[in-house]
Amino acid sequence: MRIVACFKVSPEAQDIQARPDRSLNLDRAVWKIGTYDLNAIEAARQLADQVGDATVIGLSAGGSALANAKLSKDALSRGLDELATVVDEALPMAEPFQTADILARAVGQLSGVDLVILGAGSSDVYAQQVGNQLGAILGWPTLNAVETIAPQGDHVTVERPLEDGVQVVEVALPAVLSVTSGANTPRIPGMRDVLAAGKKPTTTLEVGPVLAPTARLVSELASEQVDRRHIVIEGAAADAAAELATYLKAL
Amino acid sequence: MKSIWVIAHDAAVAAELVRGAKGFQTFVGAVSLGGEAVPGADLTLTTPAGAGMIEGYAQPIADLVVEQGARLVLFGSDTQSRLLAGAVASRLRTSARAIAGIEVQGDAVTVTRTIYGGLGVATEELGEAPGVLVVGAGALPETDAAMAPGEARPWDATPSAPGLRVVETRPKHQQVVNLASAKRVVGVGRGFAEEADLDLANQLAAKLGAEIACSRPIAEGVNWLPVERYLGVSGARIRPDLYVAIGISGQIQHMAGVSKAKTIIAINKDKNAPIFAQADYGVVGDLYEVLPALVQAL
Repeated sequence: MRIVACFKVSPEAQDIQARPDRSLNLDRAVWKIGTYDLNAIEAARQLADQVGDATVIGLSAGGSALANAKLSKDALSRGLDELATVVDEALPMAEPFQTADILARAVGQLSGVDLVILGAGSSDVYAQQVGNQLGAILGWPTLNAVETIAPQGDHVTVERPLEDGVQVVEVALPAVLSVTSGANTPRIPGMRDVLAAGKKPTTTLEVGPVLAPTARLVSELASEQVDRRHIVIEGAAADAAAELATYLKAL
Repeated sequence: MKSIWVIAHDAAVAAELVRGAKGFQTFVGAVSLGGEAVPGADLTLTTPAGAGMIEGYAQPIADLVVEQGARLVLFGSDTQSRLLAGAVASRLRTSARAIAGIEVQGDAVTVTRTIYGGLGVATEELGEAPGVLVVGAGALPETDAAMAPGEARPWDATPSAPGLRVVETRPKHQQVVNLASAKRVVGVGRGFAEEADLDLANQLAAKLGAEIACSRPIAEGVNWLPVERYLGVSGARIRPDLYVAIGISGQIQHMAGVSKAKTIIAINKDKNAPIFAQADYGVVGDLYEVLPALVQAL
């Protein structure tokens, strides 16, 4: 079984600073694998281990941050057998459809892929759409919000929590599945994983140009903050609680 | 503006989206998947209930949008609607966008999206392709448009979801939580050492008449509360009158879910916790001492 685990590398939100004019300063931001993408890598590894005869290929479409050896090693240490990247400076800012289109071409090049697994959403845009759009482009069975994946020979059976119930669905392969952020607990790589990562194969795919965007980006600004009163009290718990209670009762 | 189509499988979501769309003063059509006529819609196309996965309607919806020359196609933000939106968008060779706001002038459409875990907001002008929008709560402008029932007719469309077979749908055991409609919410975080200690927060919630909610680690790390109760960019986003954050540090991703609350109160023992910068009223103290005293004082 050939399983592809997709991930996006994006700037860490807590390192981003808002300037007084509300523009965003990304200079100090560290580029990391998306939080929710770690669930995709973990789900792929766990499934591969269950199947036995299986390979997990990491796939990421991004900018020059992907050329960082430390970053690819980080990805490989988390359970991937190999790594394939598509690098284009338009990709970090790409829309879901543009990204999905590039990933579809990359999946085609990787050939013989049985299953593509993605996370709930990227850490930066969180549109929650790349998996959905990728599946539609490939014309493969596609599901989002998948919590568990059980291999059943030529298909997989998945559980998918919806707002009012849990759907159990048989999915024919090849397929595209986006997993929830609660699907698993991503492993923390040990020293052995980190050392092994350096020896795993990585390839850069050439898949052609990124499609034109379908909207014009006007601005990216810091979110407007609601004005808060910022009253902070320290001191004995009983006094603080009494003061807070008075405030609450007045609401 | 050219027409707007609302696609929904839930009557309440359909009505809310149609109501918002009516504000743009144009023809509003609705596809009611397994439902009935949507109040306010100029035309509702209905499909039989229980016809399998609603996601199978992607191709007929894409065809309808093209045939109708629609400017916008609106979806709710639930799981199935999101998947359907993505499948429709790919067929229209555009992106499905999760929007937090929208402005319309003629056929020019500007939308806003949350980025970087709630830290930022991106503003975009849509290109010529029909806009495929996943509409978050409160994203459409409020209107007082008349919601008279319009024409409804059965839609002659055949769903198709090859390779997907629903084996069963199990109802959820716990009660359905609607944090979005709660006026008061008490949120708990990793400041609580043990699951049993959440009782302290429950007591406060009972006194305040508030719903209990939590940060992501409580729902997806230690699993003390169901995922429906976690607040944040990837969880529920609420705008209650009062939000009380207890033992929550206030990471960007969490605050994105609560930053629109009218009043935010924080209780945390770390006076440098980022939550205090976004709170109206903060108590620096040990929740194990503050909460019992507070419950008693209320």
